[in-house]
Amino acid sequence: MAVVEAYVSILALSDMHLVRGDKDVARGLNLKLHAGSITVVLGPNGAGKSSLLLAMAGMLTPASGVIELKGRPLDDYSRREIAGLIAWQGELPPAEFSLTVSERLHLAGSDVCGTDMERACRMVDIAHVCGRPLGRLSAGERQRVELAAVLLRECPILLLDEPTAHLDLRHQAAWLDTMRQQAAAGKTVVAVLHDVQQAACVADEAVFIYGDGKAVHGKAADMLTQTKLEELFGSPILALEQEGLILPDYRSVNETA
Amino acid sequence: MARFRLWSVLLAAMALAIYFGLGVGESWINPFSPSSDLDHIVLWELRWPRVLVALAVGGLLALAGAWFQVLLGNPLAEPYVLGVAGSAACGAIASLALLPGSPMAMPIGAFAGAVVGISVIMAFAHLGASRLLLAGVVLAAFWSACLALMLALMPGHRLGMALSWMMGDLSTSFISIYGLSAVWCAALVAGLALSRSLDVLMLGEMHARAMGVEVGQLRMKVLLLASLVTAVAVTAAGTIGFVGLVVPHAMRLVFGGLHRVLLPASAVGGGTLLVLADAGSRVVIAPAELPVGVITAMIGVPVFLWLLLKRT
Repeated sequence: MAVVEAYVSILALSDMHLVRGDKDVARGLNLKLHAGSITVVLGPNGAGKSSLLLAMAGMLTPASGVIELKGRPLDDYSRREIAGLIAWQGELPPAEFSLTVSERLHLAGSDVCGTDMERACRMVDIAHVCGRPLGRLSAGERQRVELAAVLLRECPILLLDEPTAHLDLRHQAAWLDTMRQQAAAGKTVVAVLHDVQQAACVADEAVFIYGDGKAVHGKAADMLTQTKLEELFGSPILALEQEGLILPDYRSVNETA
Repeated sequence: MARFRLWSVLLAAMALAIYFGLGVGESWINPFSPSSDLDHIVLWELRWPRVLVALAVGGLLALAGAWFQVLLGNPLAEPYVLGVAGSAACGAIASLALLPGSPMAMPIGAFAGAVVGISVIMAFAHLGASRLLLAGVVLAAFWSACLALMLALMPGHRLGMALSWMMGDLSTSFISIYGLSAVWCAALVAGLALSRSLDVLMLGEMHARAMGVEVGQLRMKVLLLASLVTAVAVTAAGTIGFVGLVVPHAMRLVFGGLHRVLLPASAVGGGTLLVLADAGSRVVIAPAELPVGVITAMIGVPVFLWLLLKRT
């Protein structure tokens, strides 16, 4: 059983301790990620969600703790090897150099062919802007270009830092669906999300990073509960029996307060 | 094939520039049929080397500009932005003051000065693009202060020589045309070898690292390469502004941003612009010559502003 466990855990973190500036973030996290699963990272602003993703991508060295990628310490990998296994999506890249959408997507991989690109563009609905320079797109369109680039990387692990940022509701929903499809195809997906409803829609597992930097991991069903989320965000949350989780109607909350 | 057509236009422009570069001067000489032995000598022993120097220096400046732009994450950067030209000028003027008699003093001084400038800026290479840029701006101010001090102390009869070098002078290259051509080829090959990493660096350092680029090493390589190329160009022909700023920017708008196309196009386009500018510098107030830097600014600034307007 232990052998099977080791085999299926593609990315494992033990006793994580990250430091960003002089602040502890993501402290005490133990985590094993499995192929075909979606892990959602939740927490208040500045708790260290992005730092955790950077550490997983080998771009931030932990103060202590071990990260293992396919059973080997992450430190043993070269940047190029990591890039073959992990696709990272973060803030929108600058658009100063007037790259067109298709030029930017060609940068995602050295062997990106036309049909791959068409498919990725269709998946995030940007086929109609392919010839335009990045600087002429809206933030939502640029975000979708980045998501297409992540898909084109064809890596087994996807680390997504707020993938639904800037997206309208339809594209948010479409992307959550795409994430599930990617997981179904055997990818390991980790996503920082701010919307607990979105998290409840897609997550198999959840990582909470609290404001004081403490981090815990568990099954989404156990973690995404009213009490635990209220404790995480320090904000009232209503649980609806049938519909999952939703933010309260702030008008009635303010009246009673 | 749109790109093929664009390249044809660029190469035709270069051929035309060379034709004018050979023909124009104190008197017009038809490059295909020089009318006398004297014309023949003027054409092939005076104008032809000068055209080649302009081609090489312009190409080098444009390549260095393209590299500095991606290195600093700013499409408006130019080869002299980090103070390399200032330190080269300091070296040149210092050696002119100390060893006035020897003809090689200025180029050797310029190159030594450029190397000093590069060494200082390399200490800041590990900083992010914006702080590296600030360090460069401050260093450039420092070098220009040193330069002003030396010029103030310099006796009048040497001042003209110093000023003409500082504004760009293609009439007497201090590096042989063979040397310049070799540097031009080597720089282009080295740049093409790095082109994919440079492409990814346009997405910013984080994205470049995430895509497998060792950003620290790449920045060091590009800074060294761009600085050395700038040093060679400055040593050969003095400081010539705007070629390194305008040409890569214009080529990016025409050919797109990917470096495997941008770098060769800049190397050719920069040379073309400088040959034309040099030809212009010989006719505007003929028989006297203007410093070529004046012409590049006169051409470069309006072109650049027009490109900016067209873009938005």
